[in-house]
This record gives sequence, structure tokens and C-alpha cells, in this order.
Amino acid sequence: MSSRPPKGHFHVLYFATAGSYTSKQLEALPAPLPLRELFSTLEERYQGMKESVLDHSLVTVNLSYVDMQTDGEDEEEEVIIQEGDEVAIIPPVSSG
Amino acid sequence: MPGTNGASHAVASRGQNGEASHAHNGAAIPSRRLTEDEFDRYSRQMIVPGMGKEGQLRLINSRVLIIGAGGLGCPAAQYVAGAGVGTIGIVDGDVVETSNLHRQVAHATSRLGMKKVDSLIQSLGDLNPLPTYVPYPCLLEPQNAADIISQYDLVMDCTDNPATRYLISDVCVLLGKPLVSAASVQKSGQLIVLNCPPTPQGLVDKPYPPCYRCCFKKPPPAGSMVSCGEAGIIGPVVGMMGVAQAGEAIKILASGLHLPSPPLAEGQPEQQRNLKQPTLLIYSYDLEAAVGPYTFRALKMAGRRKTCFACGESSTLTLEGIKTGNPNYEQFCSLPTATHNLPPENRITATAYNDAKTRGALPKHHLVDTREMEHFSFGCIDGAVNLPFGKLLMAAAKLKRDGGNSTAAEVVEKILPRPSSADAAAGEKITLEQEEDTPIFVVCRRGLDSQEAVEKLKELGVDNGGKRKIKDIIGGMRAWKEEVDPMFPFI
Repeated sequence: MSSRPPKGHFHVLYFATAGSYTSKQLEALPAPLPLRELFSTLEERYQGMKESVLDHSLVTVNLSYVDMQTDGEDEEEEVIIQEGDEVAIIPPVSSG
Repeated sequence: MPGTNGASHAVASRGQNGEASHAHNGAAIPSRRLTEDEFDRYSRQMIVPGMGKEGQLRLINSRVLIIGAGGLGCPAAQYVAGAGVGTIGIVDGDVVETSNLHRQVAHATSRLGMKKVDSLIQSLGDLNPLPTYVPYPCLLEPQNAADIISQYDLVMDCTDNPATRYLISDVCVLLGKPLVSAASVQKSGQLIVLNCPPTPQGLVDKPYPPCYRCCFKKPPPAGSMVSCGEAGIIGPVVGMMGVAQAGEAIKILASGLHLPSPPLAEGQPEQQRNLKQPTLLIYSYDLEAAVGPYTFRALKMAGRRKTCFACGESSTLTLEGIKTGNPNYEQFCSLPTATHNLPPENRITATAYNDAKTRGALPKHHLVDTREMEHFSFGCIDGAVNLPFGKLLMAAAKLKRDGGNSTAAEVVEKILPRPSSADAAAGEKITLEQEEDTPIFVVCRRGLDSQEAVEKLKELGVDNGGKRKIKDIIGGMRAWKEEVDPMFPFI
């Protein structure tokens, strides 16, 4: 699951319902990609994914949380997903 | 009991005064000697560096609330009780069922039908009779949450639905309780420590620890949420998360992180552990993979969110509000109400479908079962083909991306799996010409996905401008079992 992505790509890991939605655990996408275009890129591939999965998921880049929300918090520098990065889509799990 | 009259000279009996406390980090704890039973029982954990007698006494003086006595709550409670936490409250309104036992291992076949709180407490009492166990045989609700949670030092969220998760987190923020939250479904689990050390609502001048809402601001849409009852769960996966949850709770209590920290002396560095950016532990377990590699991922989370609805700077959340229905948790998480409603001409009851089929009144048709393959493999209606709902959505999305100029017959050709060769040989082949108006019936587990599937197929033009009938079987295979075939193996 954690092999290197091919040259010019980054890996996206799909956890829980993200994995069921895409029928994948991981895939390589072309890098670089601005973080703010991540959801639209995935929506294009998996129609309906934004509403059913992405909007309530948290996202990490290289094992650290990144803020996908645009609710007017501190304007920070734009994050660009780079070649070789590992992005994870983590929907909440509720059962127990 | 071994050791009672043996070599434990250093141990005094219960109630005798102990030596002065040597606590110098964290808050002071009342010191006393351990009883002989305590000394024997907790010796193996007390000699671990960092725990010691002080840690043990903190555990004994602590009160933990475990919400949910299921797959997470069972192992969590066992280890918390074994470790000697002094008071353990358990909240759960359910009774023990056979289908619980593969993962809820503190219950027992001999206690089927018993309240889960009573069953679990019986098991814990056998394991360790020293703690005080407090049963709450009810659901945790906005009306009772604050009254129950306020009695405890730390809360463990072992529940199974989003509405209760948000409620617990909100009340923990307002009452200043650390929250150890775990969740698990199917083959994956999550664990995170929230609101620890507890920080007053609204403080945002420095980095502070997050609450559940800081991490998961919005609940998933109701339709996409699956419970263990529906999606399934592997016992050791949820068990692992419950055990890890107990580990975090023991760590927090033994080191006094749940207590208000003493003011820092001039120049003294802040706590070394980075509690303001907790770690989210993700465990994923792959039944298809060979043995290992074990995939645990530790993800660094953000701290308190300034704009957080519950703990942020302009939060208006109050305990009184929660009690009187503000916010409305059910509505926020829009719990499933089975509202999806196709027009009647697109629907048929299980009984009507079966009658028509038995009378020979049904023309040649497709019967599509959208349950997962695992469900389908236990049995289906004769002649059904299996197209799991997720696969259908994927196939539909792909067709749209590819331009969507296929004819209705071509779409069916591309999407529907072929019937097994035995079925194909028995029936006449549907020619491409006939295909255009061959009716399609869709059935799922409980009758929700099937309605969406019908809508998807119509969107794709499979209904051929209304010439082809597409219907869902109302109530799915559950209705089929109730109305038509009581012996059907419904899971």
C-alpha cells in the first residue's frame, strides 16, 4: 500500500467509504496538483463522490492534516500536492 | 488468594494510612498504601516504568464512563477494569443478541437477551471485583447526557452512530472532559483522543486540542452511513480499536492529564507530549491481501478550529441548549427515515412480483439484485443477477464520462452481468431488439438502494423514453422474506 507512486504522480489512499466508493484502496494521480483542485479532480473520476464522501472527509498530505475548508479562516499559502506525496481521504467512521 | 499470607510485607491492609505523596508532576493525588489484593493484582503494570504506585493510585481514584457496551466497549471495559480504574460507568440500552457475540466478547451465550450493561458488568466483576461498576441501561440522549457525563473524569466513545458521537463530544467540551473516541466498521478502525487536556470553550489564543467537530465538521449523508449490522465487521478489527482506546484512557488517567494542570513555573517548558495536535490512528485490515503488511497509519491532526461550532471562539453551544433540543442532533445527522419515494408506477411489492411471476403473468424480464456480493451469495430470488449498488454507480459514472450516446440496449449490455449459463440455457435469449422494452426489476436489501438504482437507470436512458418499465421491489429482500419466503436466509 505504500510503494512509491510512478514518476510525475502522487498517491491517493481511500479509507473506509472512500474505498467502497472508488472500489480502490489507492491510485496514482498526476502531480503537481493544487490542493484546492483535489476534490474536483476526484469528482470528475467518481461522479457524486464529493457529496457522498469528500465533503465530510478529512484529508492528510504526507500523514499530516490539511484544511480543505473554505470558511474564511486564516488565508494560508496555497498547498500544492507534489510528485511522490501521499494524500489520504479519511471519511468518519461511526459504528462500533 | 495467593500472596495473602505470603511475602508481601511491604503491603498494609486497606484503610491504613500510607506515606506522604511523592507526586511532583501533575496534580497531587491522595496517597495511601495499596491493599494486599491491589498490590498483587496490579503488580505487573505498576512495575512498568512511568506507571508506579502513583500512576496506580490515580487509576484507582479515577472515574471512567464507557458509552456503548458493544464491539468497542467490551474490550475497552475489560482492560480499563483490569487496570483498576476505581469507578466505571457503562451506558447502553440494548440487549445481548447472538449476532453480537463474534466481536462483543465480554458477553456470553448464556446471557442472550440480558441488558448489555448488566451482562458486561457481570463479566467485569468476575475479572476484577474491586472497581465500582455503575450501569446506565439506557440510550445516551440530549436530556440525560450532561447529568451522566458530569459524574466522570474521562469519557470513552464506543457508540455506533454519528448523532451520539456529536452529542458526546459537545457535552465533553462543555463539561471539560477528555474524550477517547474510537470507531470501526467492516475492515477499518479509527482512534483519536479529543479535548485533552480539557480546555474551556471559546479559548483560541493559543493552540488547543480539537473536539470531534474540529475533525469532522459535517456528518456524512444519512444514506451513505452504514452500521456494523449492515456493512459487517471483523471481530479483531473492532477489538483492536477498543483495546487501543483502553490504552489511551489508562495513559491519560495514570499520568493525570485529565486533571487541571498546575501553573507552569517561570521558564518551565510546556508538556513535552504534543497534545494539541493529537494523532488519528487508522487501522485497515485487508482480507484480500496476504499476511501483513499491517497497515496502521498515524496521522497528525490539527488543533482546535477557531470557527468550531462547539469549542470555537464564537460558539453559542450550552448545556441548557442541548437539553432542550438545540442543536437538534437527529436532524443534523438526518438519521435515515426511509423517505426515498419513487412514483407508484415504478414500484411493486414483493407479493405482487411473486404472484405475477407464479401466475406466468410476467413477461420476460431482468431481475437485478443490488446487494453486496457477500449478501447475494447466501441466496437470491430465482433468476436474479447480482450488480452491487456501488458497482452500478461506478458503471453509471463511467458511461456519463464516456459521452453517454449509447442506446438503452447497449447500456444494459454494458452494465448488467450475464445470467449464469444454466439460467441462460433454460430461458430464451433476449435479442437486442427485444431488449429495448424488456422490463427491469431491481431489488436490494431493504428497499432504499433499489429506488436510487431505478432513478440511475432512468437517468441513463435505460427506460427508453418510458417504453421500458423499470421498477423496484418495495422493501427489498427483507420484505421478500416477510411476505413471500419466510425461510429466506436474510442477513
